[in-house]
Amino acid sequence: MFYIVTAYHAEAKPIIEYFGLKKVVKNSRFQVFAGEEVALVESGPGVVASSCATSFLLAEFEATDRDAVLNIGIAGAKNINLKKGDAILCHKIIYHDTKRAFYPDMIARHDMKEGVLETFDFPVIKGNFPEDRIEGDAVDMEGAGFFEAASFFLPPHKVHCIKVIHDYLEGVRVEPSFVSDLIRKNLPLIEGFMSSLESIDCLFSVGLSGKEKEIIDKLAGNLKLTFTMTHQLKNLILFYLSKHERLPGELYDFLNVRVNSKSEGKIYFERIKKLLC
Amino acid sequence: MKGLKSCFVKSFSHIYVEEGIEENPLTKEILKKFPKALKVRIKHYKDVFCRPRQNFFVQESSRKLILAAKKGELLYRGPDICHDFGNENFYYTSPALNCIYSCDYCYLKGMHPSANLVIFVNVEDYFKEVEDILKQKPLYLCISYDTDLLAIEGIIALSAMWIEFARGKEDLKLEIRTKSANYSAISYLVPASNVILAWTLSPTEVIKKYEKNTPPLELRLKNIIRAIGDGWKVRLCFDPVLYFENWETAYENLISRTFSVIPADKVNDASIGVFRIPRDYLKRMRKNFPPSEIIHYPYIETGGVYTYDEEVKGKIIEKLWSLLKKHIPEDKIFIL
Repeated sequence: MFYIVTAYHAEAKPIIEYFGLKKVVKNSRFQVFAGEEVALVESGPGVVASSCATSFLLAEFEATDRDAVLNIGIAGAKNINLKKGDAILCHKIIYHDTKRAFYPDMIARHDMKEGVLETFDFPVIKGNFPEDRIEGDAVDMEGAGFFEAASFFLPPHKVHCIKVIHDYLEGVRVEPSFVSDLIRKNLPLIEGFMSSLESIDCLFSVGLSGKEKEIIDKLAGNLKLTFTMTHQLKNLILFYLSKHERLPGELYDFLNVRVNSKSEGKIYFERIKKLLC
Repeated sequence: MKGLKSCFVKSFSHIYVEEGIEENPLTKEILKKFPKALKVRIKHYKDVFCRPRQNFFVQESSRKLILAAKKGELLYRGPDICHDFGNENFYYTSPALNCIYSCDYCYLKGMHPSANLVIFVNVEDYFKEVEDILKQKPLYLCISYDTDLLAIEGIIALSAMWIEFARGKEDLKLEIRTKSANYSAISYLVPASNVILAWTLSPTEVIKKYEKNTPPLELRLKNIIRAIGDGWKVRLCFDPVLYFENWETAYENLISRTFSVIPADKVNDASIGVFRIPRDYLKRMRKNFPPSEIIHYPYIETGGVYTYDEEVKGKIIEKLWSLLKKHIPEDKIFIL
């Protein structure tokens, strides 16, 4: 599942349309839209809002390590080499207020430019704020809040900020339709990145399947296994599966066994151990 | 699989450079070798290296390079689970963290939160600390435990620097352990009598299955022959010895092949080490469910260390010992 956090509806709109998301009717402070593979939340502007909305979305949808979360929105550029409309995948996100920096794992292939994002608590306008105090290539008002919150839930190769350059900090009025256009034009690039993330997840999606977990639970219950024995059983099954494609048929025979005491269970556990080693 | 591989950014696509080391000559030298890499400035190497929830196994497919200066303690007492080869004052140091190889059983996967490669460029500080200790006592120092220094010699010639530093220091004995076939990177040096080049040797079956990206046995042997021929002291490390189907035949073949090409009388010494790993490291390695039979094997825990049960361990040691002593005097074989 991909989770997306935007600040404004104008940023969310093209994404909602592109992925065919539907509004999720929920009694919540945030607007949420979701489809089969993508869920989006509109946070509103600011670090705290972004942080809250990110936590809300990831907790509400019970995000796991297999999922990824993106902050997509517009930003102002300090770096004049960045063009208006360029999508920037940020390899460093600085929170201007504390100078704390966050680093996503740049592992997935993409065709965007890369840069440093600096998040401010206020709109940065050239002339009102000394340029030499801006460390980032681009500035926004959400990235750092989003990143810190998302890092509580997901590994750093699954948390990313993508910013589309909207202005050069001239303090221009933000026109919603222009914002939507900027985001819309970059969605194929963003989707390409999402597909790299998805492929990586497929490569590393190991562990136990739901069915295998069910077998462990059933054996643990029927054979009155202790917590440690259940843990050992899980590990033995992983050991067996690292060498074989599927579990041995004989293991399924143990599913019909029910023991009356823990000592009886131990005897069966030793037999299972032999079978899986 | 090939298609899926293209979803990764190339390794060392990004180089994270710690503040304050930009002008260090080693930093400049390394950066010159990666002109296309994106340089990212960081405050402290741990800001990247120690982030929570990193996935070591995913990162191995696209490692990044972190350049930093190590502060605080630079030399550590040798741990009990490592061979001291009869030396007193056994220490080790880590001029780099992590390795470019990816061995299934490697404890680094459980020791470090990240697969990214860290190189500490303040080599002079390491040398100073060694010199300070040498004023008090002799030192047996292993410099390639938490990395494979010779394997990254192409990135930075740390092995060569350490060898030159050690040369002539009678109280200092250095071990450089490697699985690499990169001897040519230091072959121009005059051998130093207090430096031991230690090669880890494994059966071909193990190399193919569990030692991803490492050079094949034949290449390692060729490098050993050259090093011995040039006059270097060479140690052979049969460590870790693994237990798997047909392990006995595999190790018989390994040892007979090794000594069919390497003059046994020229080998400095050899070690046998049954696979062992600290409990917490293995627990961490298992957390990401890598599909590896080495990681999920039902080991026995003794004193915070996981290893094979006594019966298997005994069999392994007995077998390797009997195979090795045919070629090397018993007093030159070290077992752990």
